[in-house]
Amino acid sequence: MNEMLWPILIPAFAGLVVMILPAGLHKLRQAVALIAAVLTCVLAAMLFSKEGGPPYVLPWFQITQTFDFEIALRADALSRFIVLAANVFGVLVVLYSLSYMKGRERLREYYAYLMWTLAAANLALLADNLLLLLIGWEVLTVLLFLLITIGGGAAREGAGKTFVMIGASDCAMLLGIVFLWQIKDTLTLSSFSHETVDGGIMVIAYVLLLVGALTKAGAMPFHSWIPKAAEGAPVSVMAFLPAALDKLLGIYLLARISLFMFELSLGLRLALLIIGAATVILAVMAALVQHNLKKLLSFHAVSQVGYMVLGIGTGVPVGILGGLFHMLNHAVYKCCLFLCAGAVEKRAGTTEMEKLGGLARAMPLTFIGFLIASFAISGVPPFNGFVSKWLIYQGLLEVGGYTSAIFLVAALFGSALTLASFVKAIYSVFLGQRPPELANTRPAGFAMATPIAFLALICVLFGVFARVPIQYLIGPAVAESGAGEIRLAGLWEPGLATLLLLLSVAVGLVIYWLGSVGKARRTSIFVGGEVHDAEEIRVPATGFYETIRTAGPLEALYREAAEGAYDIYVLASRYGSNIVGMLRALHNGVLSSYLAFCVVGLLILMFVLLKI
Amino acid sequence: MDNPQFLPLFVALPLAAAFLIPLLSRLNRALAETSSVVTGAALLLLAIGRINAPAAVYNMGDWRPPFGINIVSDSLSSLMLLLIAAISLCVIVYALSYMKSYTARPKFYTLLMLMIAGMNGVVLSGDIFNLYVFLEIAAISSYALVAFGTEDEELEAAFKYLVLGGVASSFILLGIAFLYSLTGTLNLAQLAQELEGMSGNRMLLLVSAFFIMGFGLKAALVPFHAWLPDAHPSAPAPISAMLSGLLIKALGVYVLIRLFYTVLDIGPVAGTILMVLGLLSMVIGVFLAVGQWDFKRLLAYHSISQMGYVMLGIGLGTPLGIAGAIFHLINHGVFKSLLFLCSGAVENRTGTRNLKELSGLCHRMPVTSASCCVASLSISGVPPFNGFWSKLIIIVAAVQASTTTSLGNVAYVIAGITVLVSFMTLVSFAKVQKYVLFGKLPERLAKIKEVPAAMCVSLIVLAILCLSLGVLSPIMLKRFIEPARDAAVDRKAYIERVFPNTETKTAHLGD
Repeated sequence: MNEMLWPILIPAFAGLVVMILPAGLHKLRQAVALIAAVLTCVLAAMLFSKEGGPPYVLPWFQITQTFDFEIALRADALSRFIVLAANVFGVLVVLYSLSYMKGRERLREYYAYLMWTLAAANLALLADNLLLLLIGWEVLTVLLFLLITIGGGAAREGAGKTFVMIGASDCAMLLGIVFLWQIKDTLTLSSFSHETVDGGIMVIAYVLLLVGALTKAGAMPFHSWIPKAAEGAPVSVMAFLPAALDKLLGIYLLARISLFMFELSLGLRLALLIIGAATVILAVMAALVQHNLKKLLSFHAVSQVGYMVLGIGTGVPVGILGGLFHMLNHAVYKCCLFLCAGAVEKRAGTTEMEKLGGLARAMPLTFIGFLIASFAISGVPPFNGFVSKWLIYQGLLEVGGYTSAIFLVAALFGSALTLASFVKAIYSVFLGQRPPELANTRPAGFAMATPIAFLALICVLFGVFARVPIQYLIGPAVAESGAGEIRLAGLWEPGLATLLLLLSVAVGLVIYWLGSVGKARRTSIFVGGEVHDAEEIRVPATGFYETIRTAGPLEALYREAAEGAYDIYVLASRYGSNIVGMLRALHNGVLSSYLAFCVVGLLILMFVLLKI
Repeated sequence: MDNPQFLPLFVALPLAAAFLIPLLSRLNRALAETSSVVTGAALLLLAIGRINAPAAVYNMGDWRPPFGINIVSDSLSSLMLLLIAAISLCVIVYALSYMKSYTARPKFYTLLMLMIAGMNGVVLSGDIFNLYVFLEIAAISSYALVAFGTEDEELEAAFKYLVLGGVASSFILLGIAFLYSLTGTLNLAQLAQELEGMSGNRMLLLVSAFFIMGFGLKAALVPFHAWLPDAHPSAPAPISAMLSGLLIKALGVYVLIRLFYTVLDIGPVAGTILMVLGLLSMVIGVFLAVGQWDFKRLLAYHSISQMGYVMLGIGLGTPLGIAGAIFHLINHGVFKSLLFLCSGAVENRTGTRNLKELSGLCHRMPVTSASCCVASLSISGVPPFNGFWSKLIIIVAAVQASTTTSLGNVAYVIAGITVLVSFMTLVSFAKVQKYVLFGKLPERLAKIKEVPAAMCVSLIVLAILCLSLGVLSPIMLKRFIEPARDAAVDRKAYIERVFPNTETKTAHLGD
């Protein structure tokens, strides 16, 4: 059997086993899920290490002579590295879930859906037939919906919204694929190679596919499902899908259509850049004022997509490299951040930032993981986020012109705001006074801590030794896209700086141990002679950026955003319900009006047929 | 089993059962149920026997047409017979425990058997007047079944249904009378012969208008649809499943296909009209469905919208379009009856069908929830379930029509509308799943249990059908759908089947 089939079949089969196992054998269920995830990951690594062999084709269903649905798989450099990354996240999330999901309902379904998600993602990533890709894609949509519902009552709205929004994008993709087939008379993905996007239908087809990619990745204006889903979904689901896998898939499709299948015109490229820049700025503005850690992270999951779209929209090799690298980096640090949030939720019982504080001492490893990932997402050197953002900036500079300067400024500004919002998050969760009800918080257990530590380590390694992933993971994909040779204007080598940073941390620790910092005197708090308890003088971080919310023109913007004026879902349902209202008014339940419909219908029929 | 001599049994068996059930139930109450199940199973066996059978004509009393009455079974009718038999058996099994809360159960089974006899008769009849008679048998028993609950709401719905259905029937009868005055025959094959080359005849066009209105009302096409959202939800759940899953197809869509592709030839305008009606039904039906909070009413509106898909495919008139339409017809029969049975299960256990009052049933009713989920995904067109494939074929057919027909770029717009409606369907079923299946189980429902085994069996069988029709769609298409399509559009073959030697053409009843 072809080696490309295994990463699809094994998790699919494991999901079936997990679903069938009786309730009593829960430990075995977990073991099966974990082993299958690890096995799939190993197979993905083996697939990665090989040069892409010939495509695998199994004819299945010919709807017309050329509308040929075949099980066609192909592993080129882009697919190979994204499949590998996706499966690594699969292992981490299954491991994390062992502890995080303990005691929840519907766990049988949960592990089965996780397995099937892996299978469907691998299918979508390896597919060489557009319809096969779509099928993987839609199965993922349904599984995401089902996974979110496992969150219980609070997750219902978010699940519905997610299903509807991604479902809409799937429909758009379906239409786009059928249009493409009508123009090119084939469904084989690899037979599209740098087609020029010209003519009305071709542009429509590209845009329809683009909608599919952007909705999955969560770029504006198709982003609003992510924050809504974050409200109720289990954090492990958020960390796995919207934060990691959906980014990988969405950007995979964006890269596939924009770099491999089509040659974009200047106008479309500009449109991509505008979408990217707007996403970066607007989503980070929304993130600034969030009060819930999960929602804050989810808005950042939107904002960061902007960078990837910017990178790919530049169309120059360095930019593309940066965009793809940022996709990978984002998956790493955002997954890490969500896992940390999950650990906090599990131990402290909430992710409302008002109710949290001072957890650094109780959960040191989670704190360090969160800190590193926050630096990475804010683009602080020497972590991985810095490198990929730096490459994207280079790409923008290479494009040149005044317009790209605007995008560059937007990207830089977004980065600064990201840092600002993580200052708030870190302070309110891990620093400051710990509320008395959290006095007995325990650190995260092994199953939760391991993925966090691993991802934080990757954040550092990919930052310090950025040449390795660029050369071995992403470089081949960029080269294969035919974008041209990568000319790096300069890649900062942070080896020395990192050494100095580590040294300074070590020195700090030495001072801490030797000095009297640890032996500081502790007294109760008093102001003007009156003793206050800790709760009274605690400063929650939720008010940090209130001034931005209430500043001049921004106030109206924030208010309208809160009402959903910029949410495509809310807008569509508002206009949709108007139409429904009009139609319902016609159906008044009175027999005579129904008879009138029939008579009018018959008269029109007679008029059309007899032309009287 | 594929002996043509068995063909009349499709009508005779359920008809006999219908009359025997009231008598047998006097002896033993359980006999009504037993004999229904046996009849249903026998019909299914007969229908399976017809799958591989060649097309056949059975002349009643061995009187050759045009003097005698004949029964014609080709691939299209065999497929319909199989669908009717399969779904009605599921429904009968389901009703065994669902109908326990109703009185006068023998009457229920009598009416149900009459309805099945009527539908089988419509599908098999080779004679337009007999077709009309069987249509009335099925329709009248369905009016009674809608009113079976005899509450205010049921009676009102049944009355509306009766009046509108009666209007449709009279126009159909009028059309048949005109047709007879025009050609002097009622035999479908002979009509097809006589009407060849008369596509511009004004009488024929008037008849077509009556037929489109009459059968369109039976198929619930907009603007003739208004009875359906009242009638289908008011009936007991098994009957809702029969009405939405079978009746509108056998009485409406099948007859429209048969008449306008095999018998009447009025040129491409028929296709255009059906296509426009289909598009209207799709859009209006789905918009009304999205706004609904009553589970069964929502499903009823979706029947209108999904029939629109079928009509669109038929109206496109391309081989692919008609194949997609027939495939969607079958698929809709399966998933819509499953959905109605699920709604019945939910109502049976919770006592409500208001979506706002339901929540979190997946914690207590796993079989119902899983099958409801499967059916919802099927109707929303999510792979790998069956609805995806038939919708896909219709969409592909619509796009393809931009070059193969005179539609031009309008075809792209039609494809766009089709996809939009598919999305709206997904929206409303996201709502169903979100409110009924998921979320937190309310206190009030904390003690509910899964429905009894008989109901579960039907649900599971239909859910498996949804999945297997989807996964095996290549086989479905090649083995069943395409032969049925060819049988529907091949006028010559139909005539030759009934009149094996062309000399009989002269032997028609004179003017």
